[in-house]
Amino acid sequence: MPEQEKYFNDLVKQYSEPLYWHVRAMVGSHEDADDLMQEIFIKVWKALPSFRGDSEPFTWLWRIATNETISHLRKARVRAALSFSRLDAEAERISDPDPYFDGDAALRSLRKALMKLPDKQRTVFAMRYYEELSYEQISEITGTSVGALKASYHIAYEKVKSFLNENN
Amino acid sequence: MKKNYPYSAPQGYFDSLQQRLSDIPVRRTRVNLAPYFALAVSFALAVLAGNYILMKTTANAPASEEEIVEYLIDSGTTLAQLEDAVYNY
Repeated sequence: MPEQEKYFNDLVKQYSEPLYWHVRAMVGSHEDADDLMQEIFIKVWKALPSFRGDSEPFTWLWRIATNETISHLRKARVRAALSFSRLDAEAERISDPDPYFDGDAALRSLRKALMKLPDKQRTVFAMRYYEELSYEQISEITGTSVGALKASYHIAYEKVKSFLNENN
Repeated sequence: MKKNYPYSAPQGYFDSLQQRLSDIPVRRTRVNLAPYFALAVSFALAVLAGNYILMKTTANAPASEEEIVEYLIDSGTTLAQLEDAVYNY
């Protein structure tokens, strides 16, 4: 087996599961996360020859996955807008009864609130809240300054809080 | 995932996911030949089309001597230049 393929398979073994949870937290639905995992690892395979180890594999993979997921969320919003459906419809679709959702009513509401956030705020919120990544780690992944991330998280947090207050 | 992570995945999902993802290099290598094949086909088509156009446009009878002289005069070529070209040919 060529060295590159072996390295790729090592990445798959070590990171596919945590990367799935990372993507899932942002998109909500299992089907979307599953489709995205294919797309992400195809990108990883293509980009592997240019990966020189300047950053940790974790940061590199999370960066590809986050960019791919944000692009997916943006396309979904554009599709929703073009089909003249309310943008909330996408959030409703994701929040519909999901067999792979184990949370209680409070966590269900939190998910709904999260799905209504703009893509970047949702991403930052999911990485902070669910994955408990530091701002420095998120900054390395997204290429956004720590200050901007803190502001983004604060705005997202306030929006989520206000949504939960209105709906409970 | 740590705090209050509410999502789960189907039973055995990660084994099948790993299997599918590990197939990507094999599939990509196979699929990668397609662009080269498409390029070869389009190159062959371009050559054939060019050849066809060339055959069509050059199928007419060659221009007569008068026509050539007329063209040269019209294009501003002087008699001296013509003589020079003829004698130094």
